[in-house]
Amino acid sequence: MARRKILVVDDDPDLLRALRLRLKANDYDITTAGDGYSAIATAQKERPDLVVLDLGLPVGDGFVVLERLQKSNALAGVPVIVLSARDPQGNEERALKAGATAYFQKPADNEELMNVIRVSLSTSNPGGEARQA
Amino acid sequence: MSDPVTRILLIEDNPGDQDLVRLRLCESQPDLKVDCVPRLSDALASLDRETPSLVLLDLNLPDSRGADTFRKIREKAPNVPVVVLSSQDDEALAIKAVNHGVQDYLIKGDITSKRLEQAMRYAVERQSLVRSQEMARKKQIDFKNQFLSHVSHELRTPLTCIHQYVTLMLDGLAGPLQPDQTDHLKTVLRSVNQLHAMIRDLLEATRAESGKLRVEPRCIALGTLIEQAVAMMNPTAQGKQVGLEVGVDQRIPLVYADPDRILEVLINLMDNAVKFTPAEGAVTVKACLQETDNTVVYVSVCDTGRGISPEAKALIFERLYQDPDSIDDNRAGLGLGLFICRELIRLRQGHITVVSEPGLGSTFTFTVPVYSLARLLTPVITHGGAVRPSLVLMEVNLKPIYNPPRGNWKETWQQCLETVQRCVYLDKDLVLPPIGSTSPTETFFVVASTDIEHSGAMITRVREQLSRVRELAAKATVTITTSPVEISLPVPGEDLKQQVERIAERVNAMVLHAMGRDAKFNGKGHPKPS
Repeated sequence: MARRKILVVDDDPDLLRALRLRLKANDYDITTAGDGYSAIATAQKERPDLVVLDLGLPVGDGFVVLERLQKSNALAGVPVIVLSARDPQGNEERALKAGATAYFQKPADNEELMNVIRVSLSTSNPGGEARQA
Repeated sequence: MSDPVTRILLIEDNPGDQDLVRLRLCESQPDLKVDCVPRLSDALASLDRETPSLVLLDLNLPDSRGADTFRKIREKAPNVPVVVLSSQDDEALAIKAVNHGVQDYLIKGDITSKRLEQAMRYAVERQSLVRSQEMARKKQIDFKNQFLSHVSHELRTPLTCIHQYVTLMLDGLAGPLQPDQTDHLKTVLRSVNQLHAMIRDLLEATRAESGKLRVEPRCIALGTLIEQAVAMMNPTAQGKQVGLEVGVDQRIPLVYADPDRILEVLINLMDNAVKFTPAEGAVTVKACLQETDNTVVYVSVCDTGRGISPEAKALIFERLYQDPDSIDDNRAGLGLGLFICRELIRLRQGHITVVSEPGLGSTFTFTVPVYSLARLLTPVITHGGAVRPSLVLMEVNLKPIYNPPRGNWKETWQQCLETVQRCVYLDKDLVLPPIGSTSPTETFFVVASTDIEHSGAMITRVREQLSRVRELAAKATVTITTSPVEISLPVPGEDLKQQVERIAERVNAMVLHAMGRDAKFNGKGHPKPS
């Protein structure tokens, strides 16, 4: 099977670099975005298999990104894992209702995060029907 | 400034006194509207309908006397100023009322229109002053809590970065490490984890203070939770060469509590106990019932540490308190752990205490309510002094499609539970508290006051509503079944309470059977109706 592609969205470039290294070590292809707008643009261009998404982002926060992904036929089935410093109370429910698969508060346990990424990738519909094109 | 006095609620049962006060009121302010009621019950009903500018209150009414009267009025309308009308021989009571938030009092024999007017004006002014002070205080607290919540969020961002890079290196993802480099990085990681725990505590304490701690009680076996806590604490205890012992009375019944919160309290107490116990010492966790009170289980964490001084004991559950003697030790923490424990236990009407002998160790004990199905069932299955004619047990079973279930299934299961709760009639159906910790295969039980022929409508209703739970269809298959609860005729000499207990036992047995007689909940763990 081809390597699965993960889009990581965070406005902290240092954290992005570290997450890229860790995910690469777990055999994933990585693409990154540092704000809400480029997150949506990158998702449309790169068609990732999974998105790791921060909530507090410039140019359209994580909730906006979630909403846009859900509205896109090609991307609605892509699992989104929220990784945010925000308090889960209030935000977790809102994110899940908006279509997120899981919510992690920063700093997250690496092993748990990798587990959820693996499980989400194995159970999600790879790419959806739009991918066939 | 305060609003002008336009409407008075006069609560007075003596017609003579009523007329007198009315007269005095009219003399000074002829356009004042006065509603007069003779009983407390009428007064409470009137306060429900309309808020007066002020209440004039006689404390001794046909349906309420003394301190109770003003307490109930204050409870109903905390923002309405109250002036007590007191008789000559009852001044002590009137003063007590003032100490409890009533604004002023007048002696009935001495009421002149001038004094009455003055008392009323002062009462209104003072009440509005108190209110604005309270609002300012609340604003300050809100601001402080918001600030703390903001700060802890901001602290997490750089902390996450440190955590990520340290673990990257420790996991060898940035190249091989020398043994002492690994050691150094492990030290950094320990400090990062400590800092993380502090931020968590800070936020949790803020929530406790603003009443936002969330507790989701379930029907759980304490023994399992204690084992879990001991397993989590074992590495730390072993590292300090402190023994961890468990003494759980096998007869303790199931309890009604939030498993995550109880675990949090246990870990907090055990962590403290291990921290303050020297090598070769021991920490013991016990759970037992006390003969005097079978509605709660006592859980205690006992150590052989250096103990707590009486002065420290008085303050130990307060926010930010830290034992001044522990400066030389590794003071990891903000002094919030015990405060959070106390708030979590109090939230469920429990209490937490400490007994300690300096030099000999300390024992922290907290209570957890016993799960009693009979108590929960009574208001639902009894009606007009008898048990309802027929009862049905409904099972809503969630079986995950994928193993392990995908995504945040715990949240989805919780949403299902809330949905089922919305589908029942609160006065005659009862959704049983979920049993055990949330598990991938979950069953919710409902005792419903209906017969098996009519239970189809309920099944349809629940199924319909559950189909709207987001993501459920993708995560689990739902099976809903109902079976009748046998209600045999009352045994001669049996009262209603005993009858309910018998039905509760029957329901418990059905639930246990449905759950496949899970070993954890079998036999000894079976709740005794109380």
